[in-house]
Amino acid sequence: MDATPAVRLDGVSKRFADSSAVHRLDLDIEAGHFFSLLGPSGCGKTTSLRMIGGFSDPSEGSVLLAGEDVTALPPNRRNVNTVFQSYALFDHLSVADNVAFGLKRQGVAKAEIRQRVGEMLDLVQLAGLADRRPRTLSGGQRQRVALARALVNRPAVLLLDEPLAALDLKLRRQMQVELKQIQREVGITFVFVTHDQDEALTMSDRIAVMNEGRIEQCGTPEDVYEHPATRFVASFMGTSNLMTGTYRAGEVALEQGPALPVGARTGIADGTAVSVSVRPEKIWLSDFEPGMSMLRGVIRETVYSGPTTTYLIELAPGVTLSVLEQNTARARMEDRWSGGETVEFGWRPEHCLVLA
Amino acid sequence: MALFRPASRTGRRDTTGNRMWVWFMLPGTLWMTGFLIASLVLVAVLAVGTTDDLGNPRFGFDLSGVRALADPAYTEVLARSLGYALLTCAICLLIAYPVAYTIALYGGRYKHALIAAIVVPFFANYLVRMYGWSVVLSDDGPVLRALRAVGLADGSTKILNTGVGVVAGLVYGFVVFMIIPLYAALERLDVSLIEAGRDLYGGPVRTFLYVTLPATRQGAAAGLVLVFLPAMGDFVSAQLMGGPDQIMIGNLIQDKFFQGQNWPLGSALTMLLMLVLLIGMFGYLRRTRKDEAEARR
Amino acid sequence: MTIVKLPSATAPSRPTARNRTRRGRADRKPRILIAVTGLFFALLYLPIAVVALFSFNSKKSLTVFGGFSLRWYRAFVHDDVLISSLGTSLRISLVAMAGSVVLGVALALGLVRCRTRLGSLAGLIMLVPLITPEIVTGVASMLLFKGLGVALSTGTVMLAEITFSISYVTVILRSRVAALNPEVEEAAMDLGATRWQAVRLVTLPALLPAVLASAVLIFALVFDDFVLAYFTTGVDPQPLSVRIYSAIRFGVQPTINAVGTLMLAGSIALIALALFIPRLFGRRGGLDILSGE
Repeated sequence: MDATPAVRLDGVSKRFADSSAVHRLDLDIEAGHFFSLLGPSGCGKTTSLRMIGGFSDPSEGSVLLAGEDVTALPPNRRNVNTVFQSYALFDHLSVADNVAFGLKRQGVAKAEIRQRVGEMLDLVQLAGLADRRPRTLSGGQRQRVALARALVNRPAVLLLDEPLAALDLKLRRQMQVELKQIQREVGITFVFVTHDQDEALTMSDRIAVMNEGRIEQCGTPEDVYEHPATRFVASFMGTSNLMTGTYRAGEVALEQGPALPVGARTGIADGTAVSVSVRPEKIWLSDFEPGMSMLRGVIRETVYSGPTTTYLIELAPGVTLSVLEQNTARARMEDRWSGGETVEFGWRPEHCLVLA
Repeated sequence: MALFRPASRTGRRDTTGNRMWVWFMLPGTLWMTGFLIASLVLVAVLAVGTTDDLGNPRFGFDLSGVRALADPAYTEVLARSLGYALLTCAICLLIAYPVAYTIALYGGRYKHALIAAIVVPFFANYLVRMYGWSVVLSDDGPVLRALRAVGLADGSTKILNTGVGVVAGLVYGFVVFMIIPLYAALERLDVSLIEAGRDLYGGPVRTFLYVTLPATRQGAAAGLVLVFLPAMGDFVSAQLMGGPDQIMIGNLIQDKFFQGQNWPLGSALTMLLMLVLLIGMFGYLRRTRKDEAEARR
Repeated sequence: MTIVKLPSATAPSRPTARNRTRRGRADRKPRILIAVTGLFFALLYLPIAVVALFSFNSKKSLTVFGGFSLRWYRAFVHDDVLISSLGTSLRISLVAMAGSVVLGVALALGLVRCRTRLGSLAGLIMLVPLITPEIVTGVASMLLFKGLGVALSTGTVMLAEITFSISYVTVILRSRVAALNPEVEEAAMDLGATRWQAVRLVTLPALLPAVLASAVLIFALVFDDFVLAYFTTGVDPQPLSVRIYSAIRFGVQPTINAVGTLMLAGSIALIALALFIPRLFGRRGGLDILSGE
């Protein structure tokens, strides 16, 4: 396999007059991957995407596409295409002419343009709407036109700037699946910017979680979710029970409450201030196994939401943990608890993360 | 070059393309600078220039043109022009307010058509309109006939060749500049605000004074400036509607350049006119700044 | 027939006034306001109606209508001086329209997109004609041409009119450019267009309705303008509006009624067209092209 990454950011920074948007970013994106840049708004993910696309000049560092330094090249001379958040369709052109725009710029023969535009409209299921004006289409249809317009050029990399943000939830879920299918079909590297962690988890091969212009963690969805490297990643990806305390000899003494047994950790010196993170679904309320870290608390709240029930358990005054139980067929009725009960709970040591 | 440094950069906007946009801007800017700014500077320079024996302008430094402005003959014209222009502003406000109010609040789906019916003829030929207006206001015209018929005028009442005629001409010429900003302000005004005012203050008059009027003050201020500027510089109305005793500063300027051939004096008068207008503009800007500052608080 | 019957010429405005009250808020009809508005419309159209009516007068009088006739229109058509002036005015308007639209559209694009100090300076310069009365612009233009030793002619009128019209075009277009989604231009570049191609293929087509509307408007304004033309024109040929000015000042010539009626009809049609153009493109048309909002 070709080891040259499709996209490489090498020490890329972007500073605006009054702020720094991206700080010394190093990033490799493997060819053929569905890669997500995930983070809250203002974290620098869109700025990074714009630097790959050529709409923004890095203040320092370089952008490489397939090993070639393109930092100084304008957007029209980079083999990447973009799906914009606003779709940025050309309202004065028909759907077909929108899609044909890039091919015409390249000087592709008319017959081939017609054929490729037709194929692409089929792929995004817009075959019947070729002659319509973008303004007359629905949001989802406009989104497909934007996708077709970019993909028809067969770019090495497709950049997507929150393309689903403007769609309603149901349509968004449907498009997530479709987008992933299309990506597999065409085999093009997708770089996908989003602030929605569910979207990133379900679609991506790899995710880079960004915060304040830096990459906090880059890895597979499982990696990022199960083994968050930083406190930010742990809290941004899904819900986490985050507690702060001091590490000492295999235990973390919480600021308020008991010491949690976390097992001996190498690389953390005694007396270090740390955060402890346990996912709600990783906490057990019954059927304990040997070797688990066991604790005791009072159920303060139960929140029933169909397939799951969330219990808020007070471990100590001011320290409340959220615990998620699946209401599956195997779950027993007598294993439901109500408010005020004191219960035992526990987790496997590997599910308790200590973040320096 | 300092001029090319970005004045402000906010958000994501990048400066990648600034070079090209400067080229877009340059021809128009150079054209305007070359023709307009240069010519205005020339007026200022010539205001302190002289003329040779044949009446051709000469550059120099001679304050006789500027000093001549103190002549009572000129100060009187200036005062009259100012009076006419301010009176025009006041009358335009009085006419435009009810018209804009009626259309904005009661126009329904004919709103746009009604405003277009006002705006379209106003942007049509100014001269022909003024000429038609002078016929309407003439001694045998429909207005005086109607006034005579209801006993508000007698056989000796005249409108043309009086100050009333000149102001009527200015109002007719420029009232649209008051209607547009007032209409825009009233359009933006939430009708429920007026209804809330009815609840709060009771009578429609009090509602108008405490709710509608303050909310449209900016529109009225903009309208006053938009009417004042052209009214102060107009010379057609005084020519068609007025007599020798009603001339305005515009007529003086025209006279100095076409009949009198005293260009330095004409230029000095032009600068004087600009000065009055700039004072008016400055007053307006200070007023709106203050309003905006109050609105922020 | 006497002029007293004239108000009937404004009758078409009445049905709308009636509809307005019926469709308005039913609780209280502000009769006084509607009366004032009605009177305003009557007085607004009365002078125009007078000019139009007397252009069809068989007599020479401006107060007594002697019967319908096309006499003054015939006189206008056979008046070589007026016809050549009409040609001159049309030429001036066309050149001023073309010049100011090209310069003004480019300036508007540059002003919105280029956030430099040069941009702010250009924005200020652009506003000067809008706050300067025409007589000042007229005097200044005349002095400039005289100072440069350029003989006043049709050409000098064109130059002066272009200067004055650039601001109008820029004001109208600027808000439209600002309302454009900058990502659309980026999308064009992303798809292989150069910066200039992106402007030509995407931005200008998007602005087309506003550009056309402003062109029509400028044509009408320049054709009607007389102050600037008056100060910058040579002796012969003179623009039509300058001829009308002289005619109005020095004695009544009913031919002017015919010319004036034609000019009014022409400019009303053009301005109405300018308001209507955006609708032809399926956009919200509007007065905003006149107020620049």
